[in-house]
Amino acid sequence: MNIMISILSHWLIALTLAPLFIGIIAKIKAFFAGKKGPSLFQPYYDLQRLFQKNSVYSRTTTWVFRCAPIVNLAAVLVLSLLVPLGPFKAPLQFPGDIFFAAYILGLARFFMIIAALDTGASFEGMGASREAFFSCLSELALFMNFITLALLTHSISLSSMIGADIPMSWKLMGPTLLLVAGSFFIVILTENCRIPIDDPDTHLELTMIHEVMILDHSGIDLGYMLYASALKLFVFAGILLPIIIPIQMANPVIDMLIFLSSMLGLSVVVGMVESTMARYRLNRVKNLLLISFALAFFGFVVKMWRG
Amino acid sequence: MMTSWVDTSCIITVFLSLIILSNYRVTAMIRVFALQSFVLSLLPFFLHASSLSGRDIFIVLVTMILKAALVPYILFWAIRHVSMRSEIKPIIGFGASIILGALVIAGAFWISLSLTLPGKPASDLILPCSLSTVLLGFMIMVTRTRAVTQVLGYLIMENGIFLFAVSLFDVMPVLIEIGILLDIFVAVFIMAIVVNHINEEFEKNMVSVSRSKMGEAF
Amino acid sequence: MCAGIYALGYMRPYKAKRPMGLHIFFYGLLSSALALILLANNAILFLGAWEMMTLSAYFLILFHDDDPTVRRAGFLYLIASHCGTFLLILMFFLMAHHAGSMNLDIISHTGFSPFLAGIIFLLALFGFGVKAGLIPIHIWLPHAHPAAPSHVSAVLSGVMIKMGIYGICRVIWTVGVFPDWCGYLLLTVGVVSGVMGVLYALGQHELKRLLAYHSIENIGIITLGLGVGLLGKTYHMPFLSVLGFGGALLHVLNHALFKGLLFLGAGAVIQKTHTGEIDQMGGLAKLMPLVSFLFLVGALAICGLPLFNGFISEFIIYFGLFHGLLHLPLQGALACALGIIALALMGSLALACFTKVYGTVFLGEARHHLKVSGKTSSLMLIPMLVLGGLCLWIGLFPQTMAKGAFLGGAYLAHTDFLSFDMGRVFSPLSYIISTVFLFLVLVVFLMVLRRILLKGLPLPVAGTWSCGYSQVTPKIQYTSSSFARPIVEFVRGILFFKRVGPDVKGDFPAKTSMASSVHDAAEELLFKPVYRRLTSLSKKLDINRIRYTQMYLMYIFLYLIFLLAWKLK
Repeated sequence: MNIMISILSHWLIALTLAPLFIGIIAKIKAFFAGKKGPSLFQPYYDLQRLFQKNSVYSRTTTWVFRCAPIVNLAAVLVLSLLVPLGPFKAPLQFPGDIFFAAYILGLARFFMIIAALDTGASFEGMGASREAFFSCLSELALFMNFITLALLTHSISLSSMIGADIPMSWKLMGPTLLLVAGSFFIVILTENCRIPIDDPDTHLELTMIHEVMILDHSGIDLGYMLYASALKLFVFAGILLPIIIPIQMANPVIDMLIFLSSMLGLSVVVGMVESTMARYRLNRVKNLLLISFALAFFGFVVKMWRG
Repeated sequence: MMTSWVDTSCIITVFLSLIILSNYRVTAMIRVFALQSFVLSLLPFFLHASSLSGRDIFIVLVTMILKAALVPYILFWAIRHVSMRSEIKPIIGFGASIILGALVIAGAFWISLSLTLPGKPASDLILPCSLSTVLLGFMIMVTRTRAVTQVLGYLIMENGIFLFAVSLFDVMPVLIEIGILLDIFVAVFIMAIVVNHINEEFEKNMVSVSRSKMGEAF
Repeated sequence: MCAGIYALGYMRPYKAKRPMGLHIFFYGLLSSALALILLANNAILFLGAWEMMTLSAYFLILFHDDDPTVRRAGFLYLIASHCGTFLLILMFFLMAHHAGSMNLDIISHTGFSPFLAGIIFLLALFGFGVKAGLIPIHIWLPHAHPAAPSHVSAVLSGVMIKMGIYGICRVIWTVGVFPDWCGYLLLTVGVVSGVMGVLYALGQHELKRLLAYHSIENIGIITLGLGVGLLGKTYHMPFLSVLGFGGALLHVLNHALFKGLLFLGAGAVIQKTHTGEIDQMGGLAKLMPLVSFLFLVGALAICGLPLFNGFISEFIIYFGLFHGLLHLPLQGALACALGIIALALMGSLALACFTKVYGTVFLGEARHHLKVSGKTSSLMLIPMLVLGGLCLWIGLFPQTMAKGAFLGGAYLAHTDFLSFDMGRVFSPLSYIISTVFLFLVLVVFLMVLRRILLKGLPLPVAGTWSCGYSQVTPKIQYTSSSFARPIVEFVRGILFFKRVGPDVKGDFPAKTSMASSVHDAAEELLFKPVYRRLTSLSKKLDINRIRYTQMYLMYIFLYLIFLLAWKLK
């Protein structure tokens, strides 16, 4: 029963907070553009609106298309259970949960790609093909990071990799962790379709990877997809933040505050990165991902060097 | 504490060399090089934080002015007439050069395993990082086709050697260091002039190449 | 292991218009050969059964023997297999000579010097590797699989290739102690095979060839697991070796299941559309709903995604690799890191490949208007259902199969099964199972939620919106080659990517055509030049005049002489 409560509370926190940070990023971008921008709670209003609407389906699509948003959201929800959020420990942790995390994301990705191909339009096909390619490279970087973290913390469970050992490690392994954090930041930008990899605002052919795959979804399907992407950003940030800010007090309230403020900080940083950079030409995106891999690889080399 | 600053600057140096390797805009590359030289020039400051002497501050300032400000300025001046600021593909392609660069870094670390140093350096990352920087600079020099980028490769090699020298020898005659820097300065100056002449010569031919490359989207 | 069970059941479902009698005969021959190989305890019996297997498979492949490509593919297979068999004869000879007997039990009790063990290992690797499809000696695979009728391809991929792996396992068990470098070599071969296999698969646009290359990739994964196991033995870490061997064995079973499913599905598709080219298909999900669903199951399983059996075996191998990473000395840790990276790369590339296949074949609109013949017979559907169900079952309840795999793994590693701490692997597995169930619950919940929210609202159906693009025709859909293009161009140095057709010039180019294909580097670089030289040489010597039967008689004759000489020694 205990675990059910922790699972539900985990989900409650994730589901309530995740759209807020999307709103914060949008606000930061507007600020940089000199605009007032949408309200901070706009994502919530969007979701509410979408859940009330009906969906239009294309003649070409099959049950796969209707199924994909569900699989996507369910996968990200399961993923959120593996990641600690603030003072709440991850309800699920076991050795090897990193592979499970990576592969359940792969499951979501598989369904999203074939849903995009299901519509039979060239835009979606384009996005699907790019997504397939970039995910290969970002998985490489991700696993390289996992290798380095596993070597540092001598465990292969996500929660213990980013757990309390880290303050010690910063003193000894500062450079390595810096490289891992940098590489992981780029992976976050990739997986959550942020500039410079992908533009979450426009829906034009030139700028999209993730956005184009969900072009034909509408109504509640779109709502599921939006929620899933907000949650994904939240969960990924939850993985990165304990590496950068490894403070852990005994008081859960302070922990929560630290967590929220660091999430805020990360959202601000992402917003700044998005505002100050333009989306890379797609050739360059592949280079960026390779640099992310090279960073992680470098971190691995330094770790092996240090013993 | 200072050890980790030294570590961090070593790592940043190598990382920036890697960025230069993967970049294809000459202006960006020069700027990153300036940043790298700036970080390196702060290194004596980190190494001797406890006992700063006037000599250290002097080295820091001279290096900073010469390598982080003057040399980039000269390079920008050298390419001011060039109409096309981008780079034609290097010999092995950008993606492959990043992967190769990562392997080169690993190789440098592996070589450093068998190299022993006479004194005790401030951080054990200095030797492999400097070796990596030298090798990466060499790679840049070898795989690039434009003269300016080849000069940059040479300069990065020098940065690597600087990293090695400045951290290992507590007692380093200022004369040698100034000598090295002047060497570099003269070399860059000559190269800038030569590059300028070559660029003027080939500028007419380059325009057609750039036109055909414009359609190269993904 | 997984062997003869399939060989019997699934032949009938495939409807064909050819005389089946001969075919059935050879099918029976193949299955008995397979069983014999498993039971053989004597080197000569093993080799005889091996030869029988090779020959019967050859005749099975040649079902459509009026097609010249099929004949060429069969011939290539025969030659390749015999080269491998030659190496195997050498190997068994060495082993038996050293031990003084042909009985494998006795051989296993004799010790081998590291040098000899190394030679035997290399011979086994190349000899069995030909059958298994390790790169670069795999060239017969991509030709033979598409040429054979689909159920034969299923058996080839599912079972016969595994015989190569079985052979390697047998040698590992028999010889027991190997020099250090063997484990590393096996791991590296697995990595190269896996990555190259899936990269080639990405470039293919013929359905069965793509699946054939994927088999190469999975053999790479299995070899990777075997390499890990062997490393565990070298460094005296029994936990690691059981993990490695066990994961490899489980993957053998799983691969047979989902590859069989995929080939049978491909057969159904090909039967219906009369072509194997992916780019001519599309929208088949509406016409063949059950087949498309089962194919999806197979595709998800082969990518190693949770819910299905592929994930379980890949998880075990990952577990072993990470264990090795953390506990082995420097070289071992580096090798394991390479293995992890390669496995991750293979997984994501396989995902790209199968989304391409599934999307292009089953989803979207039909690209060419094909004459689609009748319904798929239920005889074909039932075996597919069985296979799909097994995939799901092992994915959700892996305990029994995993236990069996670990038993086999422990046997291979010469360790005591009871001392193997299964709990360390099983507790994460049980967590995974419960999480997967949670996932399924969530899916159901979300579906129900969607139903509720959509109740009473109209659900109009229109053409694809796609951001307001009005002229949607089937031809502008993404083809399989365009889907794979980013990846293929990224590694175009490694893959021989050929593009035939003029460059598009001007603003309104005239109508042109273009064809692109990916050619096998091993084939182009290694074998074709050698082949050309050999043919020119043989033309000089006029060997071509000897026909097949005479060549066979010569073989048997040479073999007899060889045996005689050896016995009389």
